Formats: sequence, C-alpha cells, structure tokens
Amino acid sequence: LSNINKISNVFEDVEFCVMSGTDSHSKSSLENCIAELGGYIVQNPGPDTYCIIAGTENVRVKNIISSNKHDVVKAEWLLECFKAKEHVPWQPCFMIHMCPSTKEHFAREYDCYGDSYFADTDLLQLKEVFSRIKNVKENSPKEMSPVITDLEYRYSWDNSPLSMFRQCVIYVDMYAIINDLTTQIQGTRLSIKALELRFYGAQVISCLEEGVSHVIVGEDHSRVEEFKAFRRTLKKKYKILQDLWVTDSLKEGNLQEENCYLI
Amino acid sequence: MKMEHNMSRIHMVSEPSIIYFLQVSWEKDLGSGFDITLTDGQSAWNGTVTASEISREADDMAMERDKYVDELRKALVLRTEPANVYKFDFSKENCHFSYEKSLKDVSFILGSLNLQKVSSPAEVIRELMSYCLDCMADQLAKNRHLQRENEMLQRDWSDVQKRLEECVTAKENLEADLYKRFVLVLNEKKGKIRSLHKLLKQAQQPEKDTQDERESVDDIQSQKKREAAYDESTDEESENLPVPSKAVPGSSSVHMDHLTFWNDKDQFQTLPLAVLR
Repeated sequence: LSNINKISNVFEDVEFCVMSGTDSHSKSSLENCIAELGGYIVQNPGPDTYCIIAGTENVRVKNIISSNKHDVVKAEWLLECFKAKEHVPWQPCFMIHMCPSTKEHFAREYDCYGDSYFADTDLLQLKEVFSRIKNVKENSPKEMSPVITDLEYRYSWDNSPLSMFRQCVIYVDMYAIINDLTTQIQGTRLSIKALELRFYGAQVISCLEEGVSHVIVGEDHSRVEEFKAFRRTLKKKYKILQDLWVTDSLKEGNLQEENCYLI
Repeated sequence: MKMEHNMSRIHMVSEPSIIYFLQVSWEKDLGSGFDITLTDGQSAWNGTVTASEISREADDMAMERDKYVDELRKALVLRTEPANVYKFDFSKENCHFSYEKSLKDVSFILGSLNLQKVSSPAEVIRELMSYCLDCMADQLAKNRHLQRENEMLQRDWSDVQKRLEECVTAKENLEADLYKRFVLVLNEKKGKIRSLHKLLKQAQQPEKDTQDERESVDDIQSQKKREAAYDESTDEESENLPVPSKAVPGSSSVHMDHLTFWNDKDQFQTLPLAVLR
C-alpha cells in the first residue's frame, strides 16, 4: 500500500485482515481506512491478527468462522472507527463471529442476542436486537396464542383493545354446513366479523369442537338448533351469541355483557 | 306532462272465468282524475274519471278525499291487497264498470262509471301491448344495470375481504414474531437473574453455615426472600410470609422457578421464570 496519508494512530501496531468489501466500500478502500488509522494489513489471519473484517459472508469468511480462532467483525465497525477517528468499542451488532474468549467477555455484558444486561435499552436498540435474532422457530400464530395470552396477563396488557378477544376461541357461523369449509357462505357480513375478531386477538377456528368458548351467529338462525344439540355433548359449554356482540364490543372498546346477546 | 300508466289483470264478479285487462292512466296524481281503458282482448272500453267526480264520490262516502284517493290507488293501481278485498264488476250490455271494497260483513262501492265502447279496439290493444313491451324493455335494462352493479360490488367486496384477511394475517404474524423475540430476550435476562440469584445464595451460604441450627433449604429461601423483599417489616412470628401470588395461566408453579421482587405496583409477587417451555 503506497500513497497512504496517515491521519491517526488509533490502530497503531494493530493487525487486521480484510476478507471482503461491501457494496459501497470495496476491500481495498477498507484496507485504506485501516492504513490511514495506522493499522497493519495482512492477507491471511495469523496469531497476531486482531480481527477479521468482513463486508459480506463468503466461503473464506465461513471457513474462518468454523476454525473459531478469530473474531469476525462487520465492515460497519471499521467505518464507525474511521468516522469517529477513534477505537469504537465492539458491540454485539458489529460481531459476525466471536472466538471463545471474546464470547466470554461479551457474555458478561450482553445476552446471546446482544441485549445488554446492565444498560437500558431503547426502541432503536431493541429493534436492532430483535432483527438480529435469526433462525427463530417458525411458530404459527396459533401456537403463540397461549404464550401471548400468558404474557399479556402477566404484564397487564390484557386490557388493550387490540387483545380484547384474546381469551376467546370462536367459531363463526359462516359455513352452510357446520365444519364443512367448502360450504363457506360468500360475501356474508360474518366473514368480516371473523376477520375483525382475529384482528382483535380472538382465535377464530373453523372446526366446532371441545374448547370453543363462543359461537357467533348472524341473521340466519337455521343452524342454532344444531349448535345447541352439539353443545349438549360437550363438557365445556360455549355461548351462542349474535354478531352484534362483536360490533358493540368493538364500538365500546371492551367486551360487552354476553348475556344480552344470547340466542 | 308525462302520463303515468298502470296495467293489471282483473276478474269481474259476474263472469269470473274471463280475464280483463285494466289500464289506468293519470297525470301526476290519481286524485287529479284518471282515464280507464278496459279490454277483454276483443273489445275495448274507455272512460274518464275527473277530479270533481272523485271529490263527489269521497263526499258521498263521507271519507276524507286523501283517504279516498288512497283507496282508489289500492284498488286500481297497486293491487297489493289480497284479491278478494277489491272487487270489480262490468256489464257489457250497459257498459257499466264499478269497483268496490269488501270487508268482512259489508262492502261498499268505491266508484262506478259508464264506459264507452271503442270503435277500433285493435288499436287500443296494440297500444296496450306496446306499453307492456316498453315496460318490459325498461325493466330488462334496469335489471341488467343492477346486475352489473351487483357484480361489481361483489367483486369489490371479495377483493377488500381478501386484503383485510391479508392485513389480519400480517398483524397476527408480526405480533407472534415480536412476542417470540421478546420472550427470547426476556428469558435471557431471567436466566441471568437466576444465575446472579444463585451466586448470591452461594455467597451467603458460608455465613449460614456458621450458625448453629441447620435450617432446611426451603426455610433459608423464604428467609432470603423475606430479607430481600421486606426489609422494614419482617414478621418473625409467622413462619412463612403470605405470598399473594396470582395464578398465571399455563405456567407451572414449581417453587424453584420463582423469583421474588418488587413489581412496579410495589406488591410482593412471585413470578415463574420460564415463559416458554
């Protein structure tokens, strides 16, 4: 590297290995940054290499990661250092990979998602922490529903209008034949009610079964007798309510007295 | 002034087997007089009822004029009442046409008039048929228009419904995802608190060992909790501090899983550590 205009000694005697550049900063421009801050550059990491800088995660980076000997840091960190003209401390958000000793150091300060144990977080930081959580198990909303219900209950969020119907497991009478999904009545107001219920936290199910807490019926009462007959076979009895209960509850912002809407 | 027409099919009391067609036409309002055309398909008769005749009939029957006109409308135009409420009679011999309303026991004549036999019935019938065909064409056009409008509304409806469903699903997924991440981070913190709690216990253990009486682990724990949570008012009399713990749905209540702390309402509470199991 020639023609380097050294502007600072921030990285004096610190050895770096730049693996790849980013879309906006090439490998050589990153290397220039290091040199301008007084650092050394090597093409292959050795025992004295402070860290690996990686803009993109290519095969070489992956190999370095699997060898687990070096810290791999995002190019953003280097750019921050360059901007600030000082050695910016590593934060979890900069780390692509940490070798065991660094990991241990971080584990004292941060949890495995990069959220500090001691420092307060804020909207931006938490968002960043959340966005870095990868490989989240693909839970369906249905599986998450009881977890959310528990959390809302514990932290007293359960009076939020958006979770008004969280405790409800609802069958909406929008199938001409009960439980037959192919007989959905098209263009009925009830299908909108079902969506509204879901939006406000309800678990709307398409199969009438044990555990249903409410059945919502519209103007058509032709299946009410069947609902009542089926209810006799259940241990936990559901309530059969007019769809007005949903409308009124939403209008008032809280669940309305169910007994006024019984059928 | 645009004429309004109405055509209906009626039966005469004296010859119930024959169908007559009755056309009533009027300007603006039935009360301002109307023309009657009657035909059995071969011959045709017509006549006019003037506004003054309507007033006279109403007077004769001691009815308010408006009410009387309303009855006329029901009898001659609307024909919504059951067929036997309004009755018609016509005699071809003297061309006398009358219409009456029959109630349970009494019936009263709403009106009667002498019609003129038309010299060219074919023309009258042709006109009536043209009128009917025009009506039908109008209705068909209107029908088509409404149908098109209806289809459009239905298409819009299902489109909006689909979009709404997408929004709801997106909201549900986002919510589930956020909560999932929240739970992960929260549990990390609880894990840390747990390990710090263990360290604290270990640090206090030697201190305890120097005491003569050996207390059970449970007692030590409750002692710790008491010290931690109730600095100012420790009731030494009671063995265990009453802990008002809310039943949390879906979580076990294993003693070791609980941490004690002051929540923001300054209430003493135990909470299970594990949120996701």
